This record gives sequence, C-alpha cells and structure tokens, in this order.
Amino acid sequence: MTEMLEAFRLVAAPDVLIAIMASAVYGLVVGSLPGLSATMATALLVPVTFYLSPIAAVATIITASAMAIFSGDIPGALMRIPGTPASAAYTDESYAMTRKGQAELALGAGLWFSAIGGIVGTLSLVLMAPLLAEMALSFSTFEYFWLAFLGLMCATLVARSSPIKAIASMLLGLLFACVGMENPGGVPRFTFGIADLLGGIEVIPALVGVFAVSEVMRAMTTPEPPPLPRRRFGSILAGQWGLTKKYQWPMWRGNIIGIIIGVLPGAGADMAAWVSYAMSKRFSKEPEKFGTGHPEGLVEAGASNNASLASGWVPALLFGIPGDTITAIAIGVLYMKGLNPGPTLFTERASSMYALYIIFVLANIIMIPLGIIMIRVASLVLRAPRAAVMPVIVLLCAVGAFATGNNLFSVLLVGMFGIVGFVMERNGYPVAAMVLGIVMGTMVEQSFVTSLIKSDGDVLPFFERPVSSVLAAMAIAALLWPAGVWVARRLRPAEAAR
Amino acid sequence: MHLSDRVTGGFLVLLGVLAFWGGSRLPAVPGQDVGPAVFPMVVGAGLALCGALIAFGVGHSFEDEEVEPIEAHAGLARWLGDRRILAAFVPPALLLFYMLVSETLGFLPTAFVLVLVAALALGASLRLSVGMAVCAPPFVHLVFYKLLRVPLPAGILPAPW
Repeated sequence: MTEMLEAFRLVAAPDVLIAIMASAVYGLVVGSLPGLSATMATALLVPVTFYLSPIAAVATIITASAMAIFSGDIPGALMRIPGTPASAAYTDESYAMTRKGQAELALGAGLWFSAIGGIVGTLSLVLMAPLLAEMALSFSTFEYFWLAFLGLMCATLVARSSPIKAIASMLLGLLFACVGMENPGGVPRFTFGIADLLGGIEVIPALVGVFAVSEVMRAMTTPEPPPLPRRRFGSILAGQWGLTKKYQWPMWRGNIIGIIIGVLPGAGADMAAWVSYAMSKRFSKEPEKFGTGHPEGLVEAGASNNASLASGWVPALLFGIPGDTITAIAIGVLYMKGLNPGPTLFTERASSMYALYIIFVLANIIMIPLGIIMIRVASLVLRAPRAAVMPVIVLLCAVGAFATGNNLFSVLLVGMFGIVGFVMERNGYPVAAMVLGIVMGTMVEQSFVTSLIKSDGDVLPFFERPVSSVLAAMAIAALLWPAGVWVARRLRPAEAAR
Repeated sequence: MHLSDRVTGGFLVLLGVLAFWGGSRLPAVPGQDVGPAVFPMVVGAGLALCGALIAFGVGHSFEDEEVEPIEAHAGLARWLGDRRILAAFVPPALLLFYMLVSETLGFLPTAFVLVLVAALALGASLRLSVGMAVCAPPFVHLVFYKLLRVPLPAGILPAPW
C-alpha cells in the first residue's frame, strides 16, 4: 500500500505531469502527420529523455507512443493515408466511412476504442507481469536465449515481406550488434581501428537513422500527398456508446488478441491490428459489409493495436525483450535510467512499476479530451506543408544524435543508418527486424555464449529444461512457419485443379 | 535504388562470408572453447545462407509489388527527372555537413544552411524555406541548449541566451 502511495507521489511530481502533457501533444501531432510514424516520434524523443528524471522519461515514452498510435487513425480516416503502420489495417474502412459522411463516427471509434484498448491492455500488464516475474526468477540462460530467439523470429514473421529477407535483416542487425568491445572476450571486434566504434554501435542513432532519416529520404523522392480539404466535425463521441454495446464481443476479442500479440516478444501493434481486422471479418455476422464503411472491424482493430501497446511492455519489463520497435526504444530508456529490466524490477522497484501502470491509465484517459481537440484541429495540422516539417526533422535528428553522447560521430552514424534503412526498405528488407536485432544482439550473444560454455559446447542442454524446450519448440515453429505457408499454397491450387 | 534480388543477395553472401572470416580470426579466451568468435561466425553463416536463398529468388512470392506514385514530383526530385533517387541522399549529406562544420561554424549558421537546403530540395518556395531556416534553429537551440543543457557549439554566431 505504501508503495502504491509512493507511486502516486512519483507521478504527481510537476516535472512528470508536464512531461506527460507535452509528450501527449507531441505524440498526437507527430502521429497524425503522414509519413511520421509512432516509432519515429518515440525515437526522436529519446535524446530528450536523457535529461529527465526516470519516471518522467518513461512517462514521455508511454504517453507519446499511445497518442501517436491513436492519431495515426486521423489521416487514415480523412485522407486514406495511414499516419502510422498500425493504422494501415483499417485505413480503407475508415476512409469509406468518411466518404459515407460518417467521419465523426470513424474518428470517434478510433479514439474511444483506442482508449479502452489501452486501459484493458494496462490491466493485463498489471495482472500478468507479477505472475510471470515469479516464473522468470527460475529462468536460466537457456530460457533467456530461446526467449530472445523467439522474439527475433516473431519480428521476422510480423514483417509482411519475404520471410527470408526478414531473417536476413534480423541477422544484419545482430551483426551490427557485434561491433565493439562488449563481447565475451572483451576484444575489439569489427571496429576497424576506429576509436568511436569501440563502445559499439549505439541503439539510438541507429533507431533515429532508420526511422527518421530514411523517412525524410523517402519524402525527397516521392510526391507530396494531396492537401486535406477543410471540414467541420459534429460530435465525436456521440454514437460511441451505441457502438460499444452493439459490438461488445468484437471489442473484447480485439482487446484479448491485442494483449496476446503484444505479450509475444517481437510482435506489436501493427500485427495486432492486421490480425484483429482479419478476425473481425472472419467472425462477423455481416462480413459482406467490410470495406464499405462498416465500423465493426474498426472497433476490433482499434482496440487491439492499443491493447498490444501496453501488454508489449510485459516481455520488455520482465526480460528486456522488446514486444515491438516502440518497446525496443523503451528498453533503451529503462537501462539508461537505471531501471534495468528483469523480474527483480517488480520486487525492488515496485513503486516505480506502480507509477508506470498509473501513467498508462492516465495517458489513456487524457487521450480522449486531447484526442477530440486533435481531431478538431487536424485539418490545420495536416495542412502543414511537408517541405516545412521534414527539414526540422533532419535538424532534430542531428541535434538528437549529438545529444545522446555529445559526440559528433553519432551524427554520422544517424546518416549512415538512414541510408541503410532507405536502401533496405526500397528492396523489401523490413527495417524493424534489423532494429530488433541491434537492440537484442548483446543479450542474445550473452545468453547464447554463456549457455554454450555451461554445456561445454553441446547443443542438447538447450532443449533439456522443460520451459526452454517449450520456448525452443515455439521459436523453431516460428522459423518454419513461412515454409509451411509456402507448401500449403503450393498444395491448394493442385487440389483445386483435380 | 531498386536493386535486383541477385545484387542484394550477393552482397549479403559477401558480408556473411566476411563476418565469418573476420569472426574466426578473433583471439580466443584462454582456457575456453567458446569466445567472441562464435557469435559473428554463426550470424555470418546465417547471413550468407539467407543471401544465397534471396539471390535464387526463394521467398519472393511473399512480397508485394511496389507501385510507382502517379502524382507530380516537386523540388529537387522533379529537377533531377529520372535520376530523382539521388535526391534521397540530401538528408544524409546534410548530416555529414553538420558533423563536419558545426564545431567551427556554430549551431545556428549550420542549422540555417541545413534547414534551407532541405526545404528547397523538398520543393518549398524560397520565402517559406528562408522563413523556416531563420525561425526553426533558434527554437531548437532554445529547447536543447537551455532546457536540456546540451552543449551545442557556439561558433561564429553565439545565441543571445
């Protein structure tokens, strides 16, 4: 109880409250601009969190990401351009609703069910994390290795591209993580005599480069999206209660699917939205209405992507394994602030954990009023010409990279990763898989090498402990899944021909 | 920058082989079989295998075909015509520029040039570009230098605060 009170005291500190409000506005604006994703919004915030107190730093990440995932729905509904990849699943649907004159209902559904999803996801985090923490205490390096491996494999499954390219991207990320002296031998590895590389490739410049610089690079070569027509909105929340009652079952299904996908290491909001939308269509009583401006899928997928955002913190907090790219950034911030992920976080720093839950709930509650304001001013914000926004992003990339270590080498690294990300994206290599590889590389290597040393170079002990064998089976299934899909695709036309 | 799968796959094979070779040359930890060499060798081998599979077109059926946008291009991309892909390299070039000159020139002038060039390349009007280049840097400087205490270089034009 005292810890709970302490947590409230932590959150009520003025700097935390200011951080929450400022990052909420920031997340809403950046998320709503097409081409600027929630991940990019979060990555650009990291240099700022360097200079904040631990709770305020985590609060900015939580708030900004939740807001950005919601506000990605706005340009989706109004212009048919998803603001963030997590909104892409139902963009066509919400745009169809706008064309039917139901823009308020579509946007309101995005807001209302995002908030519900976020709160339900938080509850799952509160309930699940301590239970799993008990279990995690008995984990050895074998379990950690398989868990990390499972996370990496899930990240390659999420990517809607060639699975082999996804695995290659992930391996490339692991290779980047090899650079530096932080390896089992403590020897300089792949540093090519450059002193700046001795400390390894920092995650933040890589993130900023891949998600922000490469986005600006893409903007340079693509035409500007058409401007948004000015419009006035009626009541945003009217009709949402009706939708909640009518689509209660899809809403809960969306929440639960979102939570499950979020908890899986490596799979996040994007995948949750796609799966939930597909599921909604599959189990709907009126699947023929999907795609014509039918709110049912919107309800389910909108709840799902925000629910996954909160539950994605479960593997992040317990094992330091990111649920998606946003929690990958969050893990970096947690380490930086001395809140090292692990099961003991829940016993030793319980008040900080409670504070984190409170921030989640708070962020999802203030999302409703702030979101309504954002929808109303969206036509103004979305009129900002791209040629004015993108140059500032480049400047922020430079300053942000510099701020992470007061080192100009990071600025160069940001530019290089921008090129890497741009070239990869153009050729169908999913960058998120590479980023997870970079973030998790050190951990994967450590658990892998320690396990190998323990087992004297033998592979069998990796499968001997009960939990590790289950995790190994899941990870290998994830690895073989695309091959199974490919075989199934091959067999089906053959059967049809018969 | 759309390269064929053979090119990217071949590059990955090369990178994987180099990583394997480079890893195998790392010194071992005395008295241990497993050291810093194992992980890069495993990753390198995997990368080479994936690269070979990609080069032979395995898994290509999972990919979506890219559609070329039909709207008109603006700014540098229009001026470059068919070579507009080069415009993409303006942002990294600007970051390189920032790295090289910000120490001597100072934050404000460097940021002015950076924003101006980026805005013009994106096809903004001269008035908007100059406006952005004049207004944005002091604001960024204020936030990072004053609020976050990042030691941004003063150079030839120190900020008044």
